Amino acid sequence: MKKLTLLTLSLVTLSAPAMAASSAMINVNGLVCDFCARALEKVFGKQEAVSDIDVNLDTKIITVNFKDGQNLSDDALTALITDSGYNVEGISRDE
Amino acid sequence: MTFKTMAAIGLLAGALCNSAYARPVSYPGGWTSMISNNGSNNAVHIHYSPTAKYSLGVRSQYNRDKEFWFNGVQVNNLIKRWNKPDLQANFYLKSGAGVTRSNYGDYDGKTAGTFFTGIAFDWEDRRFFTSYENTYFDAGDIDDHYTQSARVGVAPYIGDYGDLHTWMMVQVDHEPEAEHPVTVTPLVRMFKDVHLVEAGLSNRGEVTLNWVIRY
Repeated sequence: MKKLTLLTLSLVTLSAPAMAASSAMINVNGLVCDFCARALEKVFGKQEAVSDIDVNLDTKIITVNFKDGQNLSDDALTALITDSGYNVEGISRDE
Repeated sequence: MTFKTMAAIGLLAGALCNSAYARPVSYPGGWTSMISNNGSNNAVHIHYSPTAKYSLGVRSQYNRDKEFWFNGVQVNNLIKRWNKPDLQANFYLKSGAGVTRSNYGDYDGKTAGTFFTGIAFDWEDRRFFTSYENTYFDAGDIDDHYTQSARVGVAPYIGDYGDLHTWMMVQVDHEPEAEHPVTVTPLVRMFKDVHLVEAGLSNRGEVTLNWVIRY
């Protein structure tokens, strides 16, 4: 019985889907200068949950990629952007 | 990078270097070295931004025309920022205090408590740039003067994030009490990653060379 329980647990573990990495797209106002936007890389780089970010100056969207199984709330993302001197227009998620 | 390393970079480059026209307040926790060289001044300003609203730093500046050396502290405050989808504008108050030592004529070896203050405004989108700033500098018997300057700039191409960005600019400096009150300096600004460099040559043949690094 003990062996059967272990086998069942192993199968459940193996068949469970891996926690997928997620990302957040943040539409930011005031994002006009590459040199200044570099600050956002520094700010998000200090966040344990963040893998990396990508800045698109054409669309004014910052894509924040999270580490597997980690995330930041919309409020936390908004606070990081606002504290860096920019304004958030909206946030969408890619789970 | 340690503070000692940053200070060393600033002092070494001090041999080069008033205002570097980059934003005087960085991101929370960010360090910035601003080194500037123009027809009359060599200066280095190293500051730390506890928040995106203000920065605290040290400033060392040598005025070659009037032969005095200023060393002191500087505080930059972001009074107001306008963030729009395609543009940003900023209004700053920049002030400082310290000691000036003169090497000039009858004032040679004399020192005086000093303060300066001024405002700065900039507006930019990805194609156009304009800015204005002024400074009142008072070093007691050694010197007091008022300066103001303005810039306009255009980017010949729109670079993506991470590209080398280039701006063509013209700066007009006005110092009412100077022998030549108005100086016009066409210059090129380039920045990539955390480095911003500016180089120009004025209508009087004076070189402008500025370098800003953000950590």
